[in-house]
Amino acid sequence: MNDTHHSTFTVERTLPGSPRHAFRFWSDPALKLSWTDCHADWTVLEEHFDFRVGGDEVRRWRMPGGQELAFRARYFDIEPPRRIVYAFAMSVGSSRQSVSLATVELGAAGNATRMLFTEQLAFLGGEDARRARIAGTAEGFDRLVAVVAAAQAGVH
Amino acid sequence: MDIQPLDRIFSALADPARRGMIEQLSRGQATVKELAAPAGMRLPSALKHLRVLEEGGLVVSRKVGRTRTYAMRRETLGLLDEWLDRRKAAYDEAFARLAEAMRRIPEDVL
Repeated sequence: MNDTHHSTFTVERTLPGSPRHAFRFWSDPALKLSWTDCHADWTVLEEHFDFRVGGDEVRRWRMPGGQELAFRARYFDIEPPRRIVYAFAMSVGSSRQSVSLATVELGAAGNATRMLFTEQLAFLGGEDARRARIAGTAEGFDRLVAVVAAAQAGVH
Repeated sequence: MDIQPLDRIFSALADPARRGMIEQLSRGQATVKELAAPAGMRLPSALKHLRVLEEGGLVVSRKVGRTRTYAMRRETLGLLDEWLDRRKAAYDEAFARLAEAMRRIPEDVL
């Protein structure tokens, strides 16, 4: 079975302040933590943030369930204050879940900033996802019926 | 919504032998022979059941040489959709915090 799936999506947001201001919240370590650090119950295992072209960002956590979650990124393009392109992989334990290319675009919109976040991702369907799928087989039937029905009705 | 597909799905899942096949396929793809074995089924009978599952849109098959292999239709389980929804929801929350942080620490403070 082909276990890899590809997907692209864009999230659009209007942010208070200029693109220059918004850019700082992506580039400055403390300012970035002010909005990315959200799980008080996760233990930080590693934190490395080298914001420059060719620089790496690594964040690893231990989640309450004991599993380790890792975000490993590399910055490929930085054009202050309008664009940031980075690639990153997410893994749970030793299982890679996804590898993505993310593009952050910041444009002035009056006094505010219009941010476009586009992610192009390869979903690898790691071992955990597979295990969850097996465990979820029984309860999955309800969802399965709904999803197939939707797909066949042309909703998908 | 057209009721026909639902009928096909429900009748496909109504049979315990076919549910067993689905369960087996949820662990990975399998050949007709591998799917027939656990239930002690003969091949023609297994094929008949698999055809019902395929018509119901639950599985897909492909033939390589003389071997036909079956797999779950991944989108059927909604795994990818669900996972993507979770990731998008995480971004929604993160970017809401970003906007909030930008308001809390305005430009003239920096």
